[in-house]
Parts: sequence; structure tokens; C-alpha cells
Amino acid sequence: MTTHTVTIANRDGATYAVNGRRPLLEQLRDQGVDLPYGCEYGGCITCAAKLIDGEVDQRRQVALNNRQIENGYVILCVARATTDITLEIGVESHDRLYRNPFLDPLKPHELKADIASPKV
Amino acid sequence: MSECCGPGYASPAEAIRAPREKLLYTIAIYTGTGIQRPDYLATVDVDPDSPTYSQVIHRLEMPGIGDELHHMGWNACSSCFDDGSMSRKYLILPGVRSNKLHIVDTATDPRAPRLHKVIDGAEIKAKADLSGPHTVHCLGSEIIISFLGNAKGEAPGGYLHLNKDFEIQGRWESSMGEIKFGYDFWYQPRHNVMVSSEWAAPNTFMPGFDLEEVGHLKYGRELHFWDFEKREPVESFYLGEDGLLPLEVKFHHNPDSTHGFCGAALSTNVIHWWKDDAGKWQWEKIIDVDNEMHPDWPIPLPGVMSAILISMDDKYLYLNNWLHGDMRQYDISDPHNPVLTGQVFMGGLLGKAPKVNGVEVAGGPQMFQLSLDGKRLYVTTSLFSTWDNQFYPEIRTKGGVMVMIDCDPVNGGMKINEDFIVDFGKEPNGPSRCHEARYPGGDCTSDIWL
Ligand code: FES
Repeated sequence: MTTHTVTIANRDGATYAVNGRRPLLEQLRDQGVDLPYGCEYGGCITCAAKLIDGEVDQRRQVALNNRQIENGYVILCVARATTDITLEIGVESHDRLYRNPFLDPLKPHELKADIASPKV
Repeated sequence: MSECCGPGYASPAEAIRAPREKLLYTIAIYTGTGIQRPDYLATVDVDPDSPTYSQVIHRLEMPGIGDELHHMGWNACSSCFDDGSMSRKYLILPGVRSNKLHIVDTATDPRAPRLHKVIDGAEIKAKADLSGPHTVHCLGSEIIISFLGNAKGEAPGGYLHLNKDFEIQGRWESSMGEIKFGYDFWYQPRHNVMVSSEWAAPNTFMPGFDLEEVGHLKYGRELHFWDFEKREPVESFYLGEDGLLPLEVKFHHNPDSTHGFCGAALSTNVIHWWKDDAGKWQWEKIIDVDNEMHPDWPIPLPGVMSAILISMDDKYLYLNNWLHGDMRQYDISDPHNPVLTGQVFMGGLLGKAPKVNGVEVAGGPQMFQLSLDGKRLYVTTSLFSTWDNQFYPEIRTKGGVMVMIDCDPVNGGMKINEDFIVDFGKEPNGPSRCHEARYPGGDCTSDIWL
């Protein structure tokens, strides 16, 4: 089975081997990484991390809007690694995850995928 | 509580005469705060004669992390007053994110509640196709809980039915009809009616609040009237722009009354309904809190009325404006014509009361519980972890607070009590956020009379 290396930038560059079949949250927790989570099905954003490098398949997530995806956020409870990746984890990585909607509205293409209009 | 009888009180008037509360339970969360600890149930000492007055005296941690405890409910209330086999012993604490139900025994040692049972979230999904639990009400000896989504987190969800031994009986409702979303509910058995309100699908509200999604109809704007015995919705009111995010639903405590109220959070309005002389349900908007301009912001700021509460004598309605930072008291003796009788500020984004009793308040007034005699209102500041993080990011380091407001139930009026404050920023495992509160003897948001 193909394995990929996960590097955690904000844990002194610690590395872990994962497969591409199972979600990252489960595999990293099994290896002792302390990660936040809630719903464990991709709907609640609690487990969001920032992807600094590499690629994941997170088609099953329904929590992120397009701006959050654009800013590099990935939903670890459903995301699978498709290459070697580097992550920033935990709430320290959430600097751009939350925004005050009255101060900083989303543009139509930045909404969630099901209601976003194409970028013009 | 007399010996022959079940839990609670014979009537609202009896409840008002109950002894003063000495303990209070509030949930406190670490979900979404960055602290990798379980959420917990805190016992707060509210007995002014006690040396530990205004302090957390016990913490019951849940078995796992990431629950997001939110609202709670009793296994039994005054609706079982005639049933000597029932007692108000268990508090049910749903985890909105984990989908677990924690059953907590508060009777064996009221100061130190203990975990009785956990109903696993996966079991609820498998047996009832539900997720995102919210409001808990007992109905006689049975329990129903509103869930806002199906197992995949999509609206409208439905109602989980538990028996008195906390075994899953399946779905309570016969049909959800055309209902698009779920949230809160309250019932008035003498009129065979239940009213339910609408927030959004778990997949919509859990990740945070995208204001733009309101325009895309991903948040609710309707109230639903149910045939309570048939367990199906029979009439819906479209509230439109006056009723964006209709959240908390309360009937009068008087079991003969048909008057009820709902706080529409984003519109920041109170909606009043009643049955007219012809037996038809009617509704009207009775309170409209104006938006405020924030000096630095492009969009006017709504109050965000996330909760309402009716005093046990049905005379006062309390509401919060979570973003403006004020708590208000209205005399609703004439429910068509409420009169503002009290207002205090604590926190909020307008900068009117950044500190209360020496504690910096992150967040604004959010959930509250009134003493049965109507004199003490306990108010907490956190709404929901992801929404807190959007509007009040400093709550991560400051935590939540619990404030007590002295209320005058005779002439109206409110004032922050200077001797009481519980700073959840100072909790032993780091800043947590307190939310809903309940008293061991029943409270103004739980008991229903048959
Ligand atoms: S744990 Fe809820 S989105 Fe991952």
C-alpha cells in the first residue's frame, strides 16, 4: 500500500506515515497526535487544519466554504492524503478560519460549493 | 416537594413559593477553544450564606472530547407531579457535535453530579437517523429531544423518543410535514399544541455563521404548530424578514393560556402568538430591537436575540442582545403591548460594559435562567464555539462569565448584582465557556403543567 508522509509544521516538524485510504484524523490520532474533533463526518469544522504543502482528497467535507478552502483549510476527519503533505494543526492554525460576517462578507464565489456562483 | 407526589410543583404559583435555589448547574465547554479536554458540567454555589458562594464547587467531565455540550433538560418535571413513581433525578446533556446523550444523576449528591449513562451518537444515527441534538423536554414519564439533522447533518432532522429508562424508542413524530428546519419546541397539553422553531441544518450552523447563507434560505424563518397528540405539524407561519432565525419558543407557564413567544435571533424581534376567539392561531411582532451602527463597521449590527425567557408568573419576558451586549426585561401583562421595564449591559460589541464586577467580559449576554421567584437572573456569555470564535475571538483566552442580575418582580427593573460573578476564564484547566444553567429543583425553562 502506498504510504505518504505527514509533516506537522507546528509540532517541530514531526513526521508520521499514513496511507491514502483512511482519514487523516483517525490515522494521526492512532499515532498519538492530539487533535481536536467533533462530528467526525466532515460537517462541523472542529477538526480543521491548514494544508501548507501537498494534496488531500476531501470531497466528503461539507463544513468549509470556498474562501476557507482557498485559504488552505482541510477537514481532517474525512480528508485523505494523496501525496506527502505538510500541515499546521489545532486552533493555532485557525487564524483565517473564522471571520466576522458583518465586517468581512463573502463574495458570491466564496460561499459553500452548493450555493457559490462561478468566479467572474 | 410533598411526599405523596412526583417531581416539581402543583402549579406555577406553587413553584414561585419554592425555597430559594442554592446550587446551579451550567455546562462549560472546551470544544473549539484549543484546550484538549472534555466539556463538563459545573456546579455553581449560589447560596449567599455559603463560604464558596459564587464559585464553581464541582466539575463533572464528560467521557470524550469534542461534544459541544449546549442545552440540557430534566428526565421529569412538574408534568409528572401526580406520579409518585417519578422523580427529577437525571439531567440530560446532549453533545451537539458528537451526537452523544449524557445522562447525569444529580440527585444522589446534588453538589457532585455523576455520570449515569451515555447513549452513543452512532446508536442514535443507526436507530433514528438523527444528529445535532438540541432541546430536551420530558412529557409525562417519556422524553423527547429535538435533533436538527439526519445522520448526515442535513435538515430538518426530527425528534428522538426515549423512555424513562433512557432507551431509544425511535422517532417521536408521526411526520415532519413540510418543515424545513428544526430547533426549539414547547408544548401546552391543555390545548393539544406544540410549537417548534427553526435554526438551520447542523452542516450549516456548526461550522460557523455565513450571513450570506440566510439569503440562500439555509436558515429558518417559520414557526410550526403541531397536533400534539397526533404528533404531526398542522399549521406553519411564514414570518419572513421579521422572523429570521426563529430560535427560542416559550409558552406562558399558565397551562390554560394559549399565548406564546419566540425570539427571532437575526431579526432581533419577539414574535407573539395566541389563539383568537374563533379558535384560530394568530401571530404578531411585539418587540423589534433596532440595529445599531458600530463606528468601524460597514453593516449595521443586529442585536442577535438568541434566547428569551418568561418569568414563572408570566408577567415578564427577558431577552438578550448578544452582539449589542444588553439584557432586557419587558412587562408582558398585556402580551400584545410589552413595556420595557429594565435593561443592563454586560460585554457586547458596542463597548458599553467591557467589565462587570472587575472581570473583562468576552462575549455578550447569551443564555439565562431566572429563579423561580423571579428575583435572580443568571446570565452567561458564550453562544456556540464556532460563532463565539467569529464574533468574540478574545473569548479563547478570557473564557466565559456568569453574571447575576437582580430583578424586581413587582415594579420591574434590573441591576447587576455586585457580589456575584463566576469567571470561567480562571478554570483550573484553562478558560472554558459556560452556557445554559439549570437548578436542581426545576426552573423557568423546563417545567410544563398538564
Ligand atoms: S470533526 Fe467535525 S468536521 Fe471533522
